[in-house]
Amino acid sequence: MLKRLNKRDYRDFSSKVFGVIPSLLLTSVILLSGCATTQADEKNITLNKDDPYENFNRKMFTFNDNVDGYFAKPISDGYKWATPQLVQTGVSNFFNNLKNVNVVINDALQAKFSQSAKDTGRLAINTTLGLAGLFDVAKHVGLEQNEEDFDQTLAVWGVPKGSFLVLPFIGPSTMRGLPGAAFDTAANPATYVGFPIMAVSALNTRANAEGSLQFINEASLDPYVFTRESFLQWRNNLATDGKSEASYDVDELDVDISDSPKNSANKADSTTDAHKETISSTPISK
Amino acid sequence: MLLKIIKVSFFYISLLISTTHAFAQDDPTETAKQVVEKFQAELIAVMKNGKQLNYAGRYEKLHDPVSNSHDLTKIARIIIGKEWEKLSEAQQQKLVDVIIRLSVSSYAHNFKDYTGESFVFDSEEETTRGGVVVHSHLNIPDSKPVKFDYMLKEKGNSWRIINIIANGVSDLALKRSEYTSVLQHEGFDALISKINEKIDNYSKL
Repeated sequence: MLKRLNKRDYRDFSSKVFGVIPSLLLTSVILLSGCATTQADEKNITLNKDDPYENFNRKMFTFNDNVDGYFAKPISDGYKWATPQLVQTGVSNFFNNLKNVNVVINDALQAKFSQSAKDTGRLAINTTLGLAGLFDVAKHVGLEQNEEDFDQTLAVWGVPKGSFLVLPFIGPSTMRGLPGAAFDTAANPATYVGFPIMAVSALNTRANAEGSLQFINEASLDPYVFTRESFLQWRNNLATDGKSEASYDVDELDVDISDSPKNSANKADSTTDAHKETISSTPISK
Repeated sequence: MLLKIIKVSFFYISLLISTTHAFAQDDPTETAKQVVEKFQAELIAVMKNGKQLNYAGRYEKLHDPVSNSHDLTKIARIIIGKEWEKLSEAQQQKLVDVIIRLSVSSYAHNFKDYTGESFVFDSEEETTRGGVVVHSHLNIPDSKPVKFDYMLKEKGNSWRIINIIANGVSDLALKRSEYTSVLQHEGFDALISKINEKIDNYSKL
């Protein structure tokens, strides 16, 4: 199972790690543009447009990592070890199904009415035929799980994402992600059924993230930067429903490095802007 | 008259040179789409034999397909951006070398077995700067498909992959942020040793 997770997570790691929270965007072009003038080098090294609170965020990241290492991971590992795969999938499906209440609401708020109808159908089928959501029956009739939340709705409404934030216990987010998460929590039935269910929900989220977290550990030189970048890209991709052209930023970059330093400083900025509105694709079902 | 003969012969000579030149390139007729599909087929083939091959075998089998389909020198340059010019030639070469090894080893590590996956071509488009984006997705049984967008640029006469965007997450953008950060905070040697550490881990996991 782990092997399988690994392989799959190489391709969809981003969607699982950040299960709950919101938002978008990219950076380090700023680091590049900073190099146009050598004097500014020192100053600009830590400057990241999306991450003005990097110092704080890095501390929180380390804190969360420790909490995870000492508590969450051992519990999650125990759960994965002791529970049959069938049960784990059932639990995962159950919470996913509850989340669909929020998905339907946010579909509507983003004026995606046909998707909203489909997601309502999905919710109805899985709640009834899928025995309160334990089985994902809808998937087999072509109703895939959609990933919508209030942070994405805010993005669609034109609210900028604000600075990147790492929240204690919760993980990566952005300024816009805060009201987003509050709304999503309120719109999730799991919130109202009491502590034990919420604890299981958290456990389920952590267990699902295992492969992805492992992937980050394996692949990253700097886990903090890796997490920040992939989180912001992933959120941007979700918010734009994968419609924009992520790939073009590379084109821009390509020009940057062949051009003279003066020009590229400007271009690097516009690259960042271009990139904000880009990045594509679909999330992975849990 | 003599002038005309000279002109004509020059024309033929240059034609001859250009055709030999074209034939000298590896498969100049290969389109961007074909480069991607060939690479994906090679990847799937390795996955199918993944278990028997084990890590070392997969690494060996994937080395040429990865190096031939990717423009890893360009990838290295884009990843570290402006820092590239500050490096000595030896350092640049060193960086390209570790990036090749890292790419191959991460493929060898992450695509280790086969459970019915298949790549499907979706569409192809030209970018404003003469690149091509090949949109495709990977079907995974019992799972949502994963979108794979390949960005290609022409290198000489052939198309080479310079970026892979999996479900909207750009590999190049991710690496660029990480590598420039390490480079600026800890320096070139630290970057190389960190990459080597990753390669080492992949071979052991």
